[in-house]
Amino acid sequence: MALHVPKAPGFSQMLKEGARHFSGLEEAVFRNIAACKEFVNTIKTAYGPYGMNKIIINHIDKLFVTNDAATIVKELEIEHPAAKVLVLASNMQEEEVGDGTNFVLILAGTLLEEALPLLKMGMTPADIIEGYELALKKALEVLKTLTCEEIKDPRDEAAVLKAVRSSVMSKQFGYEDFLGNLITKACISILPEETTFNVDNVRIQKISGSSILSSETVLGMVFKRGVEGEITKMSGAKVVVYTCPFDIATTETKGTVLIKTAAELHSFSSGEESQLESQITAIKNAGVNVVVAGGKISDIALHFLNKAGLMAVRLQSKFDIRRLCKVTGAVPLPILTPPSKEELGYADSVYIDEIGDNSIVVFKLDGKESRISTIIVRGATENYMDDIERAIDDGVNTFKLITRDGHMVPGGGAVEAELAKQVRDYSETIPGLERYAAAKFAHSLTIFPKILAESSGLQARTALQQLYEGHRTPEGVNLGINIQGEDDKLIIDCHEAGILDCLSLKEWGLKFATMAACTVLRIDQIIMAKRAGGPSAKPPAQPDDD
Amino acid sequence: MAAITLLNPKAEVVRKTEALSMNQSAAKGLQDVMKTNLGPRGTMKMLVSGAGDIKITKDGNVLLKEMQIQHPTASLIARTSTAMDDITGDGTTSTVLLIAELLKKADNYIIEGVHPRLITEGFTVACKHAMEVLDSMKKTVSLDDKETLIAVARTALNTKVESKVAEVLTQICVEAVQAIKLPDKPLDLHMIEIMTMQSRLESETRLVRGLVLDHGSRHPNMPKKLTNAYILTCNVSLEFEKTEINSGFFYKSAQEREKLVASEREFIELRVAKIIALKKSVCDGTDKGFVVINQKGIDPVSLDMLAREGIMALRRAKRRNMERLTLACGGVAMNSLDDLTEDCLGRAGLVYEHVLGETKYTFVSDCPNPHSVTVLVHGPTSYAITQIQDALRDGLRAVKNAVEDGGVLPGGGAVELKLRHELKKVAEKTKEKYRVGIEAFCDALLVIPKTLAMNSGFNTQEVITQLDYDAKENDSIGLDLQTGKSMIPTDLGILDNYSVKKQYIASSVIVASNLLLVDEVMRAGMSSLKG
Ligand SMILES: Nc1ncnc2c1ncn2[C@@H]1O[C@H](COP(=O)(O)OP(=O)(O)OP(=O)(O)O)[C@@H](O)[C@H]1O
Ligand SMILES: Nc1ncnc2c1ncn2[C@@H]1O[C@H](COP(=O)(O)OP(=O)(O)OP(=O)(O)O)[C@@H](O)[C@H]1O
Ligand SMILES: [Mg+2]
Ligand SMILES: [Mg+2]
Repeated sequence: MALHVPKAPGFSQMLKEGARHFSGLEEAVFRNIAACKEFVNTIKTAYGPYGMNKIIINHIDKLFVTNDAATIVKELEIEHPAAKVLVLASNMQEEEVGDGTNFVLILAGTLLEEALPLLKMGMTPADIIEGYELALKKALEVLKTLTCEEIKDPRDEAAVLKAVRSSVMSKQFGYEDFLGNLITKACISILPEETTFNVDNVRIQKISGSSILSSETVLGMVFKRGVEGEITKMSGAKVVVYTCPFDIATTETKGTVLIKTAAELHSFSSGEESQLESQITAIKNAGVNVVVAGGKISDIALHFLNKAGLMAVRLQSKFDIRRLCKVTGAVPLPILTPPSKEELGYADSVYIDEIGDNSIVVFKLDGKESRISTIIVRGATENYMDDIERAIDDGVNTFKLITRDGHMVPGGGAVEAELAKQVRDYSETIPGLERYAAAKFAHSLTIFPKILAESSGLQARTALQQLYEGHRTPEGVNLGINIQGEDDKLIIDCHEAGILDCLSLKEWGLKFATMAACTVLRIDQIIMAKRAGGPSAKPPAQPDDD
Repeated sequence: MAAITLLNPKAEVVRKTEALSMNQSAAKGLQDVMKTNLGPRGTMKMLVSGAGDIKITKDGNVLLKEMQIQHPTASLIARTSTAMDDITGDGTTSTVLLIAELLKKADNYIIEGVHPRLITEGFTVACKHAMEVLDSMKKTVSLDDKETLIAVARTALNTKVESKVAEVLTQICVEAVQAIKLPDKPLDLHMIEIMTMQSRLESETRLVRGLVLDHGSRHPNMPKKLTNAYILTCNVSLEFEKTEINSGFFYKSAQEREKLVASEREFIELRVAKIIALKKSVCDGTDKGFVVINQKGIDPVSLDMLAREGIMALRRAKRRNMERLTLACGGVAMNSLDDLTEDCLGRAGLVYEHVLGETKYTFVSDCPNPHSVTVLVHGPTSYAITQIQDALRDGLRAVKNAVEDGGVLPGGGAVELKLRHELKKVAEKTKEKYRVGIEAFCDALLVIPKTLAMNSGFNTQEVITQLDYDAKENDSIGLDLQTGKSMIPTDLGILDNYSVKKQYIASSVIVASNLLLVDEVMRAGMSSLKG
């Protein structure tokens, strides 16, 4: 460390060159709030079914067209530290829930914005935080009472569809029923009896061409590759899975063949071959008709496989093999032994198919409970299919939430409006300064119906007026914004209209948003080191290949 | 012209009063930044690294370490304070504040013409008396006194994280330390492993009585959850290894080779068979589970054999985890499988696999009498996790200090107020010239309660005057940060570490004295003179 002999006082002088130091309300808190507000203003137009799309070109020049908040913030690479706190909170929402990321950002940003006048009036951040936390607690309590529907059985297709379509609706408005059906089918068919639902077990395979309406759900697995041998279709498939290459066995220790005469050479190699052939016959005799190998299938092996009438598939990825074992119930075998009965897997049919230009191998399971399902997404361009994939992801995540907790609340701004009302009433009972903060919390929630109304081009003022009037009556709790409404019907009962959100989505959303806002408020000093030069340290995004 | 510039024309120099005032202003600058940290109502600081990573903290130590200070005086103070943290784990903020305050009070006298040496002498005398007073205030505490330990941990943690989280961490810290304490051995905090998992909320951080391995069982058909399990810890290869010398097989026919392939595997299979035999003898007919944790590898075939027996097997465990494993579960780490008996096995109430995103974790938990435990830190973001980790470290150190010191001191400024009054009595009795030093010391001590009051938003002057008055009458009086009134810290369970207080006073006096006696600051070298 090079030490100077400085002459002038002041703290910044003491830091390494280029470092910046902000402290106090004016310098740190207000600036942070301003930055968050700015950021949230750009993102909030993407909220809801009529949310605007954003075009983003990321650092490796990949183009995105989407209104999915999670993707937007991820690709934008936010740098402002306070805005980053909000982004981190929405990332958590994405991980914990998988949807509602925009909700977190908007709420957190609005909470901060609402805190500003209070701070200017002289309230301390600590008081505001306390008020917000009280309000959050109340809001979570109230939220539980707003359940309008409970999906008791996650296998109930009609009920699940209602929930899933709402979440798809906000991303692919107009296709919610079509996609909702695909997702519901894909999810319910793989719902395990005991363990938890794993979103990874719904695979998405994008194959360009045709239109979104030719997308389909396949129960079982789809791999984007061809078969090795001559046989391309097998129904009633008995599958054996080897994790090793399909070839003549080799020892781990280096082996040397001792051959003295030509005759011996001949008999060795034919012995080697006949060894393989007898192995394959043994495999066939065990009842197998499809062989899957995790490594290369040698030409000679392929020859014998064809001869024996066995279908041969090679999968390169270890994970693909694992998933395949899960679907078919096969036990992966590390060496080329004939499988026992329990080690065999089953698929109704295995066949090669062509979609667009790609050949795919399908392991199809119709009847039996299949444990992996695949949604084949069709669409004209990569970008478009990516966006559909994100919508499907939201839908699948919604299903996951339902399996954990089937309570649903009315969407379309209805819960937010009701929460706002009840939290405001509650705030009036709080003694002390915290009440003002709690009231601001309530007010922040009203941003959601407002955005929905504005983005759909309605008479926003009138719509909101009607909305709050409606919520004053006990029957009005489920009233939300009718985004497709004409002038005479600006609000609707969202429960009846089938616009539902998961209770747990809103629950986590409220928690994460409040947490982020409070974190930003708590910070009264920022010390920033000089920005490191050079290109961004992030590794380039992994190519989309699954 | 200073002599040094004759010797080295490029050297920089400041002298005498200028040097003193430079030190003053550096200490003051540091104090300004740090003072908002002090106590439970201190505020958060955000540190942004060059790469844009965020750190949010209230911990003086973290702050000083990450700030990249370049000023010589400031960095001297910072280094003393962080060294303080390395010894006792706490008290950094207080040290910075007290050093600056000592310099400030000394300056008042120096301006009037008192020689700095007299003041430092006074400081030294005051410090000596202070140590005696601290001893007399010490409230004894032992390892079994859970209530007091909880109070100490709670006080420390509340200064680092919000109170809801602090409450959770308090219990964890105390239980963890109590678990790992072995009779007649010094406490080794390394026996408490801190694992982090980025998910859920901070308040879900918990103590695992056992350990958490960051890998899973590598075989799809192995059990994912076992209760009441035997744990076999071993360091035995269960996979084929190439011989050290370059060896090879010679064979003539394919059949011969098949045989070689088979015999190659044979001795590995024998080893696996031994494990299976032991499992059968201890578990058959009961509902107990069996887990093998191996430091070396286990090949797929062996995994397969084990999986068929319902054994959960983990391979390539980290070496230090192996040591901790036997401490947590009991049993012996086996280097050979030749004489396996039930006595070699450890026990755990619950072993299960947990998948988070791409990573698998194996929990070996509910061990009956663990001497090594794990704190599983949850948090939604990486900055939240780091914050909890730092806080845990402080909390654990606080409990450890309390146990090792065998005593604690009242917090909330009580120590400082009491010292002030005791030392005032000493000053009154002193005829020597260094009396001014003792007086300066007494005044400087007020910085702690003052800053606590300021951070809670009280009218400092008013609150401190009242407090100072109350403290004269009563024995240990501290500041109640909720009301701004005086309180008795021991009643409210606001307790500080004895060694921290002792250390912070001693360090502050030494650094302040050194800085007061500086009359020249020079820098030899070529770099530019700016700054
Ligand atoms: N047909 C509809 N009419 C009114 N509101 C709707 C309709 N469909 C969905 N919504 C509302 O839109 C909101 C969801 O919007 P969106 O999905 O854009 O945001 P998000 O879930 O917070 O973020 P993201 O999905 O980007 O992670 C929900 O509150 C939902 O109630
Ligand atoms: N609940 C409380 N009420 C009053 N005073 C408290 C309370 N809790 C802690 N304190 C006081 O706060 C001070 C400790 O604050 P803090 O831990 O922020 O600083 P530090 O220990 O000097 O530095 P570090 O940042 O290294 O922890 C002690 O003087 C302690 O007595
Ligand atoms: Mg959504
Ligand atoms: Mg401390």
